[in-house]
Amino acid sequence: MDTRPVREALASITSQAILEALAVIVIAALLILLVQKLFPALAGKLSGKPRLYLLASVPLLRLLIILLTLLMVVPILVEPSFENMVAIFGALGLALGFALKDYANSLIAGIVTLYEMPYRLGDWIEVDGRYGEVRAIGARAAEIVTLDDTVVVIPHGVLWNALLANGNDGTDNLMCVADLYLEPDHDVAFLRARFRDAIFTCPLTRTYQPVQVVVSGCEWGLHYRLKAYPLEPRAQRRFISELTARAAAICEEAGVGMVAGPGLGYRPIHQGS
Amino acid sequence: MPGGLVPLEQWQLPETSVHRTVRSALRDILAQLRAGVTPEDTTFRSLDALPALSARTLAEVAPAPDPATTADAVGRQLARLTRGGGRPRRVPVLVAPPFSGVREALACLDRRLLTPPDEVSMTPAAAACWWDRQALTDGDWVLPELADFWLRHPSGLALVREFLSRVALDQAGDGLVGCSSWCWTFWTHYLPELHLAPVTPAPLTGERLTRWLAFLAGGASGRTVTARMSHDGLYVLPAPDDGQERKYSGFARDLAALSRGNPGVALALWRQRLRSHPEDEAAARPLRDESGGGRLYWVAPLEPMKLPAVPTAAGPGAGHILHALLLHDGLPLDRLAQVTGLAEPEARVALSLLLRAELVAPAGAGEDYRVQPLGYPAVRKYLHARGYPVDGF
Repeated sequence: MDTRPVREALASITSQAILEALAVIVIAALLILLVQKLFPALAGKLSGKPRLYLLASVPLLRLLIILLTLLMVVPILVEPSFENMVAIFGALGLALGFALKDYANSLIAGIVTLYEMPYRLGDWIEVDGRYGEVRAIGARAAEIVTLDDTVVVIPHGVLWNALLANGNDGTDNLMCVADLYLEPDHDVAFLRARFRDAIFTCPLTRTYQPVQVVVSGCEWGLHYRLKAYPLEPRAQRRFISELTARAAAICEEAGVGMVAGPGLGYRPIHQGS
Repeated sequence: MPGGLVPLEQWQLPETSVHRTVRSALRDILAQLRAGVTPEDTTFRSLDALPALSARTLAEVAPAPDPATTADAVGRQLARLTRGGGRPRRVPVLVAPPFSGVREALACLDRRLLTPPDEVSMTPAAAACWWDRQALTDGDWVLPELADFWLRHPSGLALVREFLSRVALDQAGDGLVGCSSWCWTFWTHYLPELHLAPVTPAPLTGERLTRWLAFLAGGASGRTVTARMSHDGLYVLPAPDDGQERKYSGFARDLAALSRGNPGVALALWRQRLRSHPEDEAAARPLRDESGGGRLYWVAPLEPMKLPAVPTAAGPGAGHILHALLLHDGLPLDRLAQVTGLAEPEARVALSLLLRAELVAPAGAGEDYRVQPLGYPAVRKYLHARGYPVDGF
């Protein structure tokens, strides 16, 4: 490969130009840091749509700052002629392609993420069996916080191949499901109606969203799924607990026994009166 | 009843200026961001130094509407709807937002009054028996507030569910049902196929509000009351239809928008803004002779005023309590605990926070707590922002 054009382009770089470029980069880094810290903090104080909009603006602002920095730094360092640009970006591409392949892969996936938006800050997603709320979207990776308060870092590059499930997709509507396994000998219609009442009367339920009670047979008995939307996605664990407790109380009152889930085998945990 | 009754689906929010909408949205966001940074003051503050009217004068110039007069108006409106073919049901349902005065008005009607049982939690069979005992098909009846007949609890739905099914099938005789808009919203979600063609009082636009306030101020004698803005002397009252050329303020339109066309909220705000003196006597004097000799009052602008706000310390319990109070049009403490799922001490703590913020107050001599008209705009906004099902008003 002929490296002469690159050497010529870089030969004109002076120490003053390097200092100027460094100053621009440091300011840009500080700005990005500020946006990444301040905006989520402000969003934490808001509720509803303003919160989602503010969170969604963080990665876009960061990309904007990076692009502006590139546009400012390159002319400081080299004369922005067509030959110089081809030479510099060609060399850069080669270096990224060989030495930092995975890193570049994630960076590019991160840019694609901003365009396709498979997830945004505040979304509840599941990737490779990990479920949590997206708390940060970096240039290379996203961070989710699981329901057990564990931070999981997911490189954007994973998205090229992995299946991603998004529970609320940029909105604050997140369907929750409370699963119940019941012994089969009971009045299904009666119990479904009571479960529906239990969902509608739960103070955490968004009654203007669909409420469903689905029942299917399984080898342990009957599998009930109580599906509804909580007031806010963050209340999902409390909501599912509340629905389960209310449904359990109804089962007890109706004398319908609950059985353990498939992972624990067939083991009655309550025999109705 | 300015504007009369309209089908529920025709109700529209009073118009306001874009400028005011943007300012209001920005103010809300700033208030949320400032929470925890600046000292919090959640109670009502007038923020002007002008002397307010005495309680006696207020009772004369801005009295509560007479329920009997409203009841007459409701009767006339329903008769008009019937003649126009706009009321296909034997039992009309009158849905109204809180503080609209419909409950009190319906209770004044010359019909058999249906009151709820002491205990509204019952089984479906017991609920059917209870309604059978009310002999709904025997003469005219009125049920002033449906929200009194249920509890948001699995055992508290049967009475209203049974009643609505009878009304839907026209098996409830000739009656009239009043229902709080929050309660109605819940039941339309719970029974999505319910179609009772409810009617509702038309929203108070700026023009209707001006006429209504002038009507209230005029009293039985129909005297003319003049009200002008305290800072620029522009007119608010009397209503602009007596042939005189006056410059009118946009106060009534802004008040209608701030109160979302709700008469109770608008009246509470109006009472807070009435003053006995203007800011600048000299500036107001040149216009004084145009008042036509009636009594003259001054109106402080809406802007330097702080309405009660939901404290930032309010947790989910406070939201549940506020929502439950609106769903049931007021509840005592023990029932609040029952419907919110909170333990009673926990509910008491959350309630105390709301009482201190002047959002909630004990209602009359009873044990019920109710959301207050001045706090209602903040409460509705708070519940809406946190995903609670809110009414359409």
